[in-house]
Amino acid sequence: MLLKKADMKPNFILPRVFKKIGWMLFIPGILFGIMYLILKDELHFLDLPVFAIANDEILNKTVFFSIIKNNVFDEIIGLLLIAGGLFIAFSKEKTEDEFIAKIRLESLVWATYVNYSVLILSVIFVYGMTFFWILVFNMFTLLLFFIIRFNWALQKSKNLISDEK
Amino acid sequence: MKNNIKVERAKKNITQAQLAELVQVSRQTINAIELGKYNLSTILALKIAHVFNQNLHNIFELEENDWQS
Repeated sequence: MLLKKADMKPNFILPRVFKKIGWMLFIPGILFGIMYLILKDELHFLDLPVFAIANDEILNKTVFFSIIKNNVFDEIIGLLLIAGGLFIAFSKEKTEDEFIAKIRLESLVWATYVNYSVLILSVIFVYGMTFFWILVFNMFTLLLFFIIRFNWALQKSKNLISDEK
Repeated sequence: MKNNIKVERAKKNITQAQLAELVQVSRQTINAIELGKYNLSTILALKIAHVFNQNLHNIFELEENDWQS
């Protein structure tokens, strides 16, 4: 059939099982993240040799392709939050149909605007290490804003049907 | 765009949930279409018409403001 081609176009949405996997990564990511803000690099058993494509040494000289010693706690947290967030955000809903796809797109556009609005305001008004920390949080907030807005919109559309018989 | 899905459902005596299952979408989707909050795809419109055994135009109707963008 002529329609087949359009039907088979990939929509880049992951299978539903990734939703659960996503939460299993994201929640520890948040907990470890809070732990990191309190403990910093004090978990010394996580000081490990890593392969660095680029690394700035203390005197600002950038060294390429070297093995360095690094506390990997923040790397683990970053990967948990990003992988978990992506899996939660972009895995299938129970019935992933065209209406859900529309809510998904709207929420993604909304989240992108909100995320960059925060960033623009920070660029203008925030300086020094606080700005650095906003950049760190900004790595995850696009996904976070999207997940919150998308689920809120889904819930709202579900609430609309509760009074129908 | 107006539609009379609700009327057709009543005639056929099926719920939103049952129609949703027949055309393979979520119940929210049928509800949003009935409330005029969502403009459905051609394929879904054809499927709904098929379930009610009706011509497309008997179920969906253009409104004046559909011509204004």
